[in-house]
Amino acid sequence: MKVLVANRGEIAVRVMRACREMGVPTVAVYSPSDRLAPHVRYADQAVGLGADRPAESYLDIGKLLDAARRTGADTVHPGYGFLAENAAFAGACRDAGLRFVGPAAGVIELMGGKTASRAAAQAAGVPVVPGTDGPLAGDLPDAEVRRLAASIGYPLFVKAVAGGGGKGMRLVREQAALLGAVRAARSEAGTAFGNPDVYLERCVTVARHIEVQLLGDEHGNVVPFVERECSIQRRHQKVIEETPSIAVDTATRQALGEAAASLARGVGYANAGTVEFLLDEDGKFYFLEMNTRLQVEHPITELVTGIDLVRWQLRIARGERLTLDAERTLTPRGHAIECRVYAEDPEAGFVPCPGRITTLRRPDGPGIRDDSGVAAGYEVPLFYDSMLSKLVAWGESRSEAIDRMVRALTEYEIGGVRTTIPLFRWMLRHPDFVAGRFDTGYLDRTLAARPSEPLLAPPPGAEEVALLAAAIHVVTRSAAARPEPAASDGARSSWRQAARVGGLRR
Amino acid sequence: MPVTTLEIEVNGRSRRVAVEPLAAAPGRFRVAWDETVRVVDARRLDAETLSLVLVEGGSGSHQVRCVNGARPGAVDVHVGGAVLHARVDDGRTWLAGQGGAAGAAAGGGQVTAPMPGKVTRILAQPGDEVAAGQAVVVVEAMKMENELGAPIAGRVADVPVAEGDPVDAGVVLIVIETVT
Repeated sequence: MKVLVANRGEIAVRVMRACREMGVPTVAVYSPSDRLAPHVRYADQAVGLGADRPAESYLDIGKLLDAARRTGADTVHPGYGFLAENAAFAGACRDAGLRFVGPAAGVIELMGGKTASRAAAQAAGVPVVPGTDGPLAGDLPDAEVRRLAASIGYPLFVKAVAGGGGKGMRLVREQAALLGAVRAARSEAGTAFGNPDVYLERCVTVARHIEVQLLGDEHGNVVPFVERECSIQRRHQKVIEETPSIAVDTATRQALGEAAASLARGVGYANAGTVEFLLDEDGKFYFLEMNTRLQVEHPITELVTGIDLVRWQLRIARGERLTLDAERTLTPRGHAIECRVYAEDPEAGFVPCPGRITTLRRPDGPGIRDDSGVAAGYEVPLFYDSMLSKLVAWGESRSEAIDRMVRALTEYEIGGVRTTIPLFRWMLRHPDFVAGRFDTGYLDRTLAARPSEPLLAPPPGAEEVALLAAAIHVVTRSAAARPEPAASDGARSSWRQAARVGGLRR
Repeated sequence: MPVTTLEIEVNGRSRRVAVEPLAAAPGRFRVAWDETVRVVDARRLDAETLSLVLVEGGSGSHQVRCVNGARPGAVDVHVGGAVLHARVDDGRTWLAGQGGAAGAAAGGGQVTAPMPGKVTRILAQPGDEVAAGQAVVVVEAMKMENELGAPIAGRVADVPVAEGDPVDAGVVLIVIETVT
């Protein structure tokens, strides 16, 4: 087995780690902006894709297959995002004689199509949210779009048929905003997924987003895992995930697991996948969609079950049988939380902050896992998603997991770009979060209602510390930054420069 | 060792600070302002990061990042996750930064790029009348499309960018004039 990882960033590194543990060689692909990214340096081989734009790099099926052929890779892991849920890519890999780490192309097609997957869920006896039963035709008259929307009822979502991760999705509260939202969602979906089709779906208010991870093998076995709670979202993008959910009891967990597994069995699902549900206030759940790939938040499931999902993905892809039993996978050990660290400014409307990472100090210690895709000196490109890392904390109880996460966040220092770390430190100490009182609209409402003040108050005595630091910084920085005079050997002088920067005095 | 005198403003409060490296103890600094004297053992971990241990006047240990701001003398000090904005005047730097910063707020009807990105669509042309909040331009950054609305109602006076243009944060995309 030799695995080409058709992705970038932290997920590419995550997959390569499992490969290295299994003694499987790896191939990275990279755009020019990513030449110094950790996934390129981690891989055994790396192939440049020659362009930065996603369509000409990580979304270019021809270039990816060519890279596999040139390096002799026999397996392709798509990660998440990019081509992970693209049936044409899965099919092209198999046509080229490569193993695709994921379900069959036909299953991706079926479950990736949000309207077809609704039908599959209904066929498996899983309840669904009201919505259009098919994508809106591109030439559908405006009046007809309005009529369909009115029949579903407001508020509603416009969602990309090929969508995921909040892209190509708009919340519409009233008819006046409908057509603009459809236009924007179509355009965004076309850019992000190469498919502009959208559909309409009722927005279930006051609901939690609960999802069930599962693994299926190529011999008809399916095991569901303990649920993940992903209700802390900003504009429909998950921000904090945890497992188990405070709102799910053992009976509901069993029912969710059975629903997810019967859907997967019904469509002949193999490899890792996730079935997403909305859970309303009365404890009723509705099928939302199925993601036919590994999820961003898979590490929290790994921490509470002790099962390496990526390793299982690779084992399943080479034909092995699942040896896991649902009793183990549905019984969480302790509690895990994930924070998605983005290069965005939470104090300024979450604008993306591409730029060069000047300082990077990552957290460590008991119960902490940091799946990162960046390094000091790396320039965060503006071409791709701005996630830098996924910080995951495990604890014996939910409150211990929260305490550990907050502690790890205080250790995490990322200089050069603004990040969402202050948001997490604020959110994880918020009484509503601590009590588990939230739904999918909670974070947006709470942010909107916040007075305009910094997310983190300076610690006591910070003013004096800042005064001392600024004074000493200014007095010593000229010595630290002074260029080497009359340098004849560039490499040696930069070593000396580094040594000088490392200490105030030589 | 020479004493450097600085004018440092933190949280809007300005103080005259004397900094003296102690010749007898490398890495140590005597820092004095008003009636206060501190001796600090300071070590630089990298170009931005200082480890400070108070030796006299306290015993706190602080790991702090100092990032030079865009304007001369500006230093953003990161302490415990919070950022304190300092301005340091060593007698040479401060004046150079005083000009220029105003001006931007004048004539409210501009749509500017909130982040670096690419103009994907322009939804209003010069001469078009637009309502406040109406989407007039779409900027894509990091795979997200961001529809930007008109800040005021009025008529589009100028569209200084074209679809496909890469833009930096702050670049003017659409100029709107009020209709009288």
